[in-house]
Amino acid sequence: MKSKEMKTHTNIFRKIAMTIFAIIIGIHFSVAQDKSAATEKMGTSIQLAFHKKADHSKWISVKVSAKTKDNKRIPAVNAHMNFYIQNKDGQKIINKCATNNEGKAEITLQKDLPVDTGMFYTIVAKIENDDQFENSDEIIHFRDANISVKFHEADTNRAVTALLTVTGSDGNEKPVKDIPVKFYIQRMFGNMAAAEDNSLNTEATGEATFNYPKEIPGGTTNAITVIARVEDNEQFGTVETSAVVKWGEATPVEQNPFPRALWEPYAPPSLIMVICILFGGVWSIYMYIFYTLYKINKEKKFSA
Amino acid sequence: MENKKFNLAQEIELVKEDCLRPTRKWGRSTQIWLGILCCVAAWGLFAFIHQLRHGLGVTAMRNYVSWGLYISTFVFFIGISHSGTLVSAILRITKQEWRRPITRSAELLTFVSLLFGGIMPIIDLGRPDRVLNLVIFGRVQSPLLWDVISIMTYFTGSTVFLYLPMIPDMALCRDRLIVTKTRFDKFRKRLYTFMAIGWTGTKTQWHKLETVMTIMTIVIIPVAVSVHTVVSYIFAMTLRPGWDSTVFGPYFVAGALYSGSAGVILGMAVFRHLYKLEKYITPRHFDLMGRIVLALTLIYAYLNLNEYWIPAYKMATHEGFLLRDLFFGSYSGVFWTLQFGTVLLPIIIMSIPKGRQILPLSITCVIIVIGAWIKRYIIVVPTLLHPYMPIQEVPADWSSYFPNWVEWSVTMGCLSGIFIVITLFSKFFPMMAVWEVEEGLEIEHDRQVALEMKKKREMEKMSQEVTVN
Repeated sequence: MKSKEMKTHTNIFRKIAMTIFAIIIGIHFSVAQDKSAATEKMGTSIQLAFHKKADHSKWISVKVSAKTKDNKRIPAVNAHMNFYIQNKDGQKIINKCATNNEGKAEITLQKDLPVDTGMFYTIVAKIENDDQFENSDEIIHFRDANISVKFHEADTNRAVTALLTVTGSDGNEKPVKDIPVKFYIQRMFGNMAAAEDNSLNTEATGEATFNYPKEIPGGTTNAITVIARVEDNEQFGTVETSAVVKWGEATPVEQNPFPRALWEPYAPPSLIMVICILFGGVWSIYMYIFYTLYKINKEKKFSA
Repeated sequence: MENKKFNLAQEIELVKEDCLRPTRKWGRSTQIWLGILCCVAAWGLFAFIHQLRHGLGVTAMRNYVSWGLYISTFVFFIGISHSGTLVSAILRITKQEWRRPITRSAELLTFVSLLFGGIMPIIDLGRPDRVLNLVIFGRVQSPLLWDVISIMTYFTGSTVFLYLPMIPDMALCRDRLIVTKTRFDKFRKRLYTFMAIGWTGTKTQWHKLETVMTIMTIVIIPVAVSVHTVVSYIFAMTLRPGWDSTVFGPYFVAGALYSGSAGVILGMAVFRHLYKLEKYITPRHFDLMGRIVLALTLIYAYLNLNEYWIPAYKMATHEGFLLRDLFFGSYSGVFWTLQFGTVLLPIIIMSIPKGRQILPLSITCVIIVIGAWIKRYIIVVPTLLHPYMPIQEVPADWSSYFPNWVEWSVTMGCLSGIFIVITLFSKFFPMMAVWEVEEGLEIEHDRQVALEMKKKREMEKMSQEVTVN
């Protein structure tokens, strides 16, 4: 009888073990399939842009997007990229980086990069032997331009002149014409377009003159930072400069910028009082109850 | 008279035995039940740790739907917590004698639902370590801060309100516990002694306890009402279609009372069946509670009508988008099922006396409680999916929401936590207020004695009159 029971139990255990084994094998294969699917590399598309700031610092920004199986474009996260400078001697690696969660990255350029005969820089960005993405590359050509601003004031008229030049092969600065320059005024949370139409083309002298608008607040020091910028130009990329001028309208400092109110950082005293009275009242009753409980506990000692 | 006195003493002894019996043994079924609950809670904890490690991104919530299942469950639990206030405090204040066997379960339901309801927003925060910042850096003008304070106040009050009537029972447990040498029994003895705070049942002790209980009964009602009103302010004080409503305060309170009292009936049915309390929790209790739930459902239905009918009459641009989605769109199936299945149908069932019998009433209450949970979801999620600024330039799946496995697991973990606390409570403490039931028996006995005396006097008077004539 006992051995029969034992046999039945053994059979049940065997069946359970077989089922668990089958499940584990199933999970293993599905995971393995997923892994093989995950190792398929995605095609990418690279976008490059050149930037130069007022302090003459230069960098290249990269945006890489990947194509999924279902033809969706997604940011290529953690794509490892190599950057080369290309000239008549061939290509030479200058920097490396990996993209962030938005598929973006930036590399700073050295000052002494070699140029070709037309005074252009040629940078090649490559994704090479990456685990996730197929090999791909993109080239950017750009010329190093310089931009500067000057301020003019006559009677009540004020003007800002931007001068755009490039360095020639002889080392001299040459003006550049017919390039759109945009003017901005720096504010606390970003740059404000200096007027509705803030874009002017440079003339033959390389200059673009912008009439400075009146009544722009300049804080307590009247200081205004004017920015002149060439944006996303085919030859020069994005080049900008800025200068400070005391043309701002003085704005008085508010004595009490945040009066107590429901919509301000500090609550009105009436609200604080109401809340304190309501909750304070309830909590004082709780305190009284705890005190009474303490007295009930004391009673024990007396009765004992 | 002597015989009656003897019967009363015997009956009181029986009450004590019936109430203490479930605390004396932990059957196999209890152990299995607790084991299952602990497994679910452990899975919920695992999901929560997963969420903590990887951030709220592992849930289905995104920028637009930042309040999903967690906040819906929070509002639902706070609603259920109104049960204790209604049944215990309101019936106590109105001196309803029939309340005595059911107050403890109602107060317990309040305590546990608040305990876990209060946890839900912390889970939803994603960074629980920053919860104190709400108090330290919170804006006094923000309903969120009012909510934190009022829930803390209500939780403290409910704990005290549950504990006060337990003191004489704790003394009873302490005195009647047969201490064996096991560690568990020693622990129980220490626990009962601590919780009985030296209760010996002197006149002064009774007087003090009754005074504080009366105070708490009065105080807890406005506190409870304020809590759910403040919860509604979190929504109503936000400029969003569907929430921008002046009726939200009473609407939430009515909804809370309606679902909470249905929860009490369920608790009554379960404990009556499990702990053989049929003698104390009678069909009359179910009938009376059914009447209360019916009245509350009617009030809730009236407010529901106001909440949807008035904006639907105007169909203002953004409210219109939301209401069209609720009435005819992706949520219409759930919306109309809720209106007809969990409001209208319970009204019809509970209006019929047979519908207030134990089984049909319990089934109706299950429908009401589940419906109340889904209703909170319908209040929270569709509004978030219909913001004033259109949803654009975001991944397509951000414009819809359905909770994923992490949210379900954490929520189910919390729900099983509620059942664990209730089960453990019922295994440590009597589920009926023994002294209150005793008091009820004494009052009933005195009433009967007085009635007999009156009858006797009337008989004597009549016989005297007959003699005179």
